[in-house]
Amino acid sequence: MGRTYQTSDFRNGLKVEVDGAPYEMVYFQFVKPGKGTAFTRTKLKNMLTGSVLERTYRTGETLPAAEVEDESMQYLYNDGDFYHFMNEETFEQLAIPKEQLEGTSDFLTENLVVDVLFYKGNPTSVTLPNFIESQVTYCEPGVRGNTAQGATKPATLACGATINVPLFINDGEILKVDTRTREYVSRVKS
Amino acid sequence: MNDNGYLEVHTPVLVDAPAMEEHLEAVGVGERFLHTSPEFAMKRVLCAGLGRIYQITPCFREEEVGVHHSREFTMLEWYRVGAGTAELMDDVELLFGKAAQAVERPPPVFQRRAVQDLMAEAGHIDTGDQEAWFRTWIDKVEPQLTEPTFVHGYPPWQAALSRVRGDTADRFEVYLSGLELGNAFAEEGDPQTLRERFTESAKAREDAGRQPHPVDEALLACTGRMPRAAGIAVGIDRLVMALTGASDIAQVQVR
Repeated sequence: MGRTYQTSDFRNGLKVEVDGAPYEMVYFQFVKPGKGTAFTRTKLKNMLTGSVLERTYRTGETLPAAEVEDESMQYLYNDGDFYHFMNEETFEQLAIPKEQLEGTSDFLTENLVVDVLFYKGNPTSVTLPNFIESQVTYCEPGVRGNTAQGATKPATLACGATINVPLFINDGEILKVDTRTREYVSRVKS
Repeated sequence: MNDNGYLEVHTPVLVDAPAMEEHLEAVGVGERFLHTSPEFAMKRVLCAGLGRIYQITPCFREEEVGVHHSREFTMLEWYRVGAGTAELMDDVELLFGKAAQAVERPPPVFQRRAVQDLMAEAGHIDTGDQEAWFRTWIDKVEPQLTEPTFVHGYPPWQAALSRVRGDTADRFEVYLSGLELGNAFAEEGDPQTLRERFTESAKAREDAGRQPHPVDEALLACTGRMPRAAGIAVGIDRLVMALTGASDIAQVQVR
């Protein structure tokens, strides 16, 4: 039997098992009606699908801890179907199918260190660094002097992602990108 | 309060019998307790013959910690002899109007809503399951109470120390800015009825594996002499939150 959490242990970031899936607590609030029992209202984010569940627990109810752990690993390469990662200390390697990395795989560049999430011993997803740097491999030529606010064009990056960038960006420039929002942040001076 | 004929009183914070409600947990100090509210002691002051009394005092409740809860908070509690819940609603409107004026906000205008109607609108079907009742209340009813509201007519099993008339308890709760700020009773004056309720809640606590709090015999001994009265307790920290838009009680306390 693994450990369980009481409602008084609830806090953001807690990883719990609900209906046979791992969830991360992203919101909790103690509520107590005038003459009633106390409850804790929660929002739980499914660590596999990202969907958010709202649940209310009575004080005294418990939740089992999710059997999850993070491991820092280096991205090596992909063979089209699988993405290969390596533990930098043990040099152990593992492969994650492409489908499980939807939304993250196109930001992976060789040697990038990411957090691989294991659920019940199996790798399930990766968390990217909040910011990555990648070179523009293709975009329409820059328009000198065009500083129109908010005007953008698509640019393809070496890592594989296509993001919207300001009009003054040119081929070959290195950009800083926010992986959480998939947004351009700034140019990186090379 | 002073302008409206209320006399300020002070009752002990350290008491032998802190509260009788099933879901209130007192902070223990040795063999004694910090009061969860000054209710019992203030009723003994009413029994002694004063007609309009109030006090502002720290109160303590164990296990209550959150953005709307703090183990220590400040309560304004007042009692009015010869009055019922309607007169207390007038007092609340007057007091909250002045508090709002002090921070340059329009005075709140309260709507009156019956518990039964609110629960029916939320689609609740009563099966006698108290936990289910509270789940509907916190998940479906309370989030709708964003306008200034007096919620009245509670089921008898939530009467606490209020009198029961017909099939509802004669008490109300005050909501402002979505926060429950206060709780008012038309006081039950029959000591035997109170003793039965105390015994029931003590039993419920024992069944739930919690230590029952001692019975306040001094209160029961004088209740027969207590004139008809109504009383209300308002959380000052939450009133300040409601008037200033603070989202966390920690923002209005020094910690």
